[in-house]
Amino acid sequence: MLVAFPILTALGTAVFCFLMRDQRQGQMLASLGGALIQVALAVALLWTVTTSGPLSAQMGGWPAPFGITLVADTLSALLVLSTAIVLLCVVIFSLSEIEREQERLGYQALVHALVAGVMGAFLTGDIFNLYVWFEVLLISSFGLLVIGGGKAQLDGAVKYVGLNLIATLAFLTGVGLLYGATGTLNMADLNQAVSGRMTETAILASAGFLLFAYGAKSALFPVYFWLPASYHTPAAATSALFAALLTKVGVYSILRVFTLVFETDGTPLAPVLIVAGAITAVVGVLGAVTHREIRRILSYNIISSIGLLIMAIGIDTPLAITAAIFYLVHNMLVKAALFLHAGLVLKIKGSEEFDKVGGIYEQAPWIAVLFLVPALSLAGIPPLSGFWGKFLILRATIDLPSLALTVLVLVVSLLTIYSVARIWLEIFWKSDERGEGCAPAPALMVAPIVLLTILTVGIGLYPDLLYSWSDSAAAGIADPSTYISAVMEDPS
Amino acid sequence: MKSLILSVASRALMPTLLIVSFYVLWRGHNEPGGGFIGGLVAVLGLVIMSKAEGVRAARDFLRIEPLSLAAIGLGCSVVSGVWGYIVYGTVLKGVWPFITVAADGSKSGLPVGSIFLFDLGVYLVVIGGVLGMLFAMEEVVAPEPDEDETRDGGAG
Amino acid sequence: MRFLPALLAFMATAWFWSFLPAISAGETRSWAWAWLPDQGVELALRIDGLSLLFALLITGIGTLIFLYTAAYFRNDDRLPRLLTLLMLFGISMLGLVLADDAISLFVFWEGTTVTSFLLVGFDHNRRYARASALQALIITGLGGLALLAGLIILGQFAGTYRLSEMVLMGDAIRASEIYIAATIFVLLGCFTKSAQFPFHFWLPGAMAAPTPVSAYLHSATMVKAGVYLLMRMSPALGGTEIWMWSLTICGAITMIVGSVWAMKQDDLKLMLAHTTLMGLGALVMLLGSGTKEAAKAAVLFLLVHALYKAALFLSVGILDKQAGSRMVDDLGGLRGAMPLSFAIAALAALSMAGFPPFIGFIGKEVIYESALHSAASPLLVTGSALAANIMMVACAGLVAIKPYFGERRAQKNPGDPVFGLWFGPAVLAALGLWFGLFPAALGHDLLEPALGAVTGKAAEVKLYLWHGVNLPFLLSLLTFAAGIGLFLVIGAVRRALQAARVPGAEDGYDLGLAGIDRLSAWVTRSLQGGRMTVYLKLSFAVFAGVIWMAILMSNTELSRPDFRVPLFQFGVVVLILVSTVVVTFTPSRLIAICALGGVGSGIAMLFVMYGAIDVAMTQLLVEILVVVFFAIALLQLPRTPISLGFRPFDMALSVALGLGVIVTLWAVLGTELNLYLTEYFEKYSAPKALGRNIVNVILVDFRALDTLGEVSVVLIAAIAAVAVMRAGREARK
Repeated sequence: MLVAFPILTALGTAVFCFLMRDQRQGQMLASLGGALIQVALAVALLWTVTTSGPLSAQMGGWPAPFGITLVADTLSALLVLSTAIVLLCVVIFSLSEIEREQERLGYQALVHALVAGVMGAFLTGDIFNLYVWFEVLLISSFGLLVIGGGKAQLDGAVKYVGLNLIATLAFLTGVGLLYGATGTLNMADLNQAVSGRMTETAILASAGFLLFAYGAKSALFPVYFWLPASYHTPAAATSALFAALLTKVGVYSILRVFTLVFETDGTPLAPVLIVAGAITAVVGVLGAVTHREIRRILSYNIISSIGLLIMAIGIDTPLAITAAIFYLVHNMLVKAALFLHAGLVLKIKGSEEFDKVGGIYEQAPWIAVLFLVPALSLAGIPPLSGFWGKFLILRATIDLPSLALTVLVLVVSLLTIYSVARIWLEIFWKSDERGEGCAPAPALMVAPIVLLTILTVGIGLYPDLLYSWSDSAAAGIADPSTYISAVMEDPS
Repeated sequence: MKSLILSVASRALMPTLLIVSFYVLWRGHNEPGGGFIGGLVAVLGLVIMSKAEGVRAARDFLRIEPLSLAAIGLGCSVVSGVWGYIVYGTVLKGVWPFITVAADGSKSGLPVGSIFLFDLGVYLVVIGGVLGMLFAMEEVVAPEPDEDETRDGGAG
Repeated sequence: MRFLPALLAFMATAWFWSFLPAISAGETRSWAWAWLPDQGVELALRIDGLSLLFALLITGIGTLIFLYTAAYFRNDDRLPRLLTLLMLFGISMLGLVLADDAISLFVFWEGTTVTSFLLVGFDHNRRYARASALQALIITGLGGLALLAGLIILGQFAGTYRLSEMVLMGDAIRASEIYIAATIFVLLGCFTKSAQFPFHFWLPGAMAAPTPVSAYLHSATMVKAGVYLLMRMSPALGGTEIWMWSLTICGAITMIVGSVWAMKQDDLKLMLAHTTLMGLGALVMLLGSGTKEAAKAAVLFLLVHALYKAALFLSVGILDKQAGSRMVDDLGGLRGAMPLSFAIAALAALSMAGFPPFIGFIGKEVIYESALHSAASPLLVTGSALAANIMMVACAGLVAIKPYFGERRAQKNPGDPVFGLWFGPAVLAALGLWFGLFPAALGHDLLEPALGAVTGKAAEVKLYLWHGVNLPFLLSLLTFAAGIGLFLVIGAVRRALQAARVPGAEDGYDLGLAGIDRLSAWVTRSLQGGRMTVYLKLSFAVFAGVIWMAILMSNTELSRPDFRVPLFQFGVVVLILVSTVVVTFTPSRLIAICALGGVGSGIAMLFVMYGAIDVAMTQLLVEILVVVFFAIALLQLPRTPISLGFRPFDMALSVALGLGVIVTLWAVLGTELNLYLTEYFEKYSAPKALGRNIVNVILVDFRALDTLGEVSVVLIAAIAAVAVMRAGREARK
């Protein structure tokens, strides 16, 4: 039943925070407490799953496939832990960043509601339930985008929600088709039901609908527009949460559904993912190179990382999947750190645009170093977590007959280095032409960035732990039989 | 804005709709109905009231901020899930403390328990959530002059 | 405190020195710790002759440079930052030469790239320093990435990342199909790091760094990392045509370009940077020659160059500090005021010019000797070495004679510097003389084991100051004569060179970078123009494309539709259809809303017909509320009618999408519905879930988790709606 508690905790905390929205202290404590419980639960979950295999729970006690089953294998548990860590960091940061007005509108409640959606998506073993959690996270992210904002935020939010609704619609239609064709919604059960039927129009079309939906959620070319349109507008805590979590849910769903539910041999899925991923990576990094504002650059960097990830998933060797999972976790932590840092810059300098900010390296060298480390990690510089991610992906491409993807990864990596170096040059090195100093950095903003930075350094110095988890997660993806038996053999 | 006919009608309709809504919620487990439909019926009653007497009056009638009501509703549903865990170790499992099952399988007693709490939660969320949206919208579109928040004055 | 780094470096030097007897006796020392064992990555370190030679250079020169830095920046509060970065660099560089695991090597390699970036941009307030740092980062970063790919390819092939094991598999590697790719990648890494043509231009740019940094990183150590790796990989990759010619040609061009460009520089530091290019080019060219003599010459010249070039850089730093300038034309006649500085510069320059009895002389002799027997092209190699050396003589004159003789010129009142500033260069310059006088021990203890590692077999290095009269000696004489001649007319040569405008590789870099900027701006602008309608159309187009792709690839035959439905149902369908058409074509919002209500009611009626009373009720209630919402919202919208132009693309898109969905739904109708879930619900709803209304039991019991999620959605949507209203109100004010 441990599997159910991340979701219940998130929803319960959201309720608590919302009811206490007028009491600052109470809301802060509730939010922080909820986040800490999430971390504890996630650690316990990952511990249990890695020591004794996938964990499942039948909601309401109804046996699979009749009720809804929650399942955690290593992949889910690993992502739940990353989510919990990001949540904790974002909550701490938001205590300092978020204004009273936004808190009174229910900011903390929305954060936890979003996390409920993410946790639900990672843990559910039911495809319709997955759809429900997608909706939860879509609506709560929309709320976070608009809360306490002005016109720019509304504009971004409308684009965000408009394009995401198309994806949601596609998801729902796809699930409907799948149910019509098989009569079941449990993903482990679908594995049997779909078996040998991939050439049927309903099944294949359903796969197409779902691929479109998850692709759009992951911000894959050519349906990634919503991301750069919206990520730079809200509070930094919000965009850090989005950057770390939203697209990753799409990637997770591709990984899960297109291995567990659909048989992809003989379908053009792999080349589609490789080509779309490669184009996404290039288009994303080109966007990162051209912008002159920290969070806009980072937003495009997300797109390019997603491209590499999807490409690795498309390569679909055990190593490539391991690489993708390792890279996914690394990316969640590092992107959160960098987006939070953008918020810190915004706080101490009043802007995050190249033309308005400068001189932080001179005025606050430690703040600059705190940016440099995760930025180098993003750029794949050793010995940080991003290096191992890049190493593993390169390693996976080198096993292929052609070196084209290897060269592509190299080019994208180089341009990524260029894009973060530009931030360093303009925001940190260049002297502040307005001659203004730095406002003091609040400890609550610095602490979460430090925590995330320590993690990226730690993973870099000791990659074996995350690697072995990723490896076991990849093994679970490659052979879903333990997952299926965990769902179908009712333990309770 | 205010119409006398609507006002009179609402005084009669509103309580009826509220009672009906609760009845729909109550019987929902066995007959058509349930928390969702019941909630919507109750919302209709309050919408009529707000149209007749103004959002302010409807808010006063509710006494509690609609969004808080919705949050309490979600809380009920979550608690219902935990209740099942506490009693049976299974999240969201139905707990029927007032029902006894005889040896032949027939049941007797009051059908109140975790499942009803869950449905009650749904009912409250629907009422609070939909009304919260409606009121917020109405206050933007046609702000009432006597509203205490002065910053709404320029809208419209 | 500020001398701590120097002390640490000195201790490290001593520690490495203690390995000398064992290593020169042909032993090696190694350590290894698992890092990513599943991928065979270790943190493996190994000391052999080559890494010991480099380690001694890094720590030894490091000691002197750290000392110099502490004096050079003694009144600057940036000193701790500078020393920290220099130490970090030193550690990375040591790791690089000690690593036996290819991936560990790469880790340290990138460490030097990053520290170099931070050091080149040390004067970060200057735009030029920032641009140079970026240039160095991009060029060496490019090479680094290529190197990583190359090393992984080699590791994959060899089944190990241990360099010491890879070099034993040279024949197999050269015969394999990965050889070309691996070699190209590794060479890219080495050439960028060691500033070989056409990547050489970043090195002069890196002179934006403070002088001690330039002396240490961009002359004595880091830029030799590429050369080091070429030496290290020679047994594994060397000896083929592609290896030989790319090294020889790139090395020769770098050497010549560096030498020629060195002569025209005004800034002595830039001049030294270009002579460093000459040195690096010479090393690479020698390694390309592929003979044992050439390798020996390379190992020797590596040391020679490190000694004299670091000394010269530091002495230029002294000039800058004491005389206020390092411009050729600003300085003159300083030997009286700065005798010690002059002596240092002279000693180092004599070694650079290759005069006896300095080690530079021996180095040059050995180079000529090997050049004459080059496996590539003796004529090309010897000719370019000769030309470059002649120009080196002239440059040595510019560095050591020009500032100290002639009419006295200085920007401020000069004098000899403090101990910390002269000690380092003095030691380096003196070593150049010492090794020249006593070369035998150097050859045996230090160079022999290093050469053994480069050639892959035991080697003998016997060095003599006097080789007798032979062809190399005659070439040396020619070098001196021509070099001195060149120095006498150097003014005219410099003017001519400065007048010449030759496009260089740097212009290529600038064009490339500008091109990337332009390309990315264009791509981003065209893809992300900011117009919602475009995004929507594109998304729908992709959506339709995916559906049709799936339909066309699948093979279900569509069943014949059954039109025998009750008349009433038919009527409802007609109602829905008509309403839909009205929604699409009416210009009035009010009518559109009413028609939408019609669609909803029709669907509710269908639900009733199929016995889903609960769903029908919900549908109806929701319809009513939607109309209420719209009615409120309508008051806000402008009263202008909806414009209904004919948009063929939009129409085609919606038809494609709609048809696609219809076809897929139709296909589902053809498959028999599996009802085992429904049957279970019917069977257990009343007895186990204690409820006869199956729809409700599904909602609150069987699939309560879905409902929990949806209920959360309602609450969240309400919170969001209130926030939107608030935002809208704020925006309007």
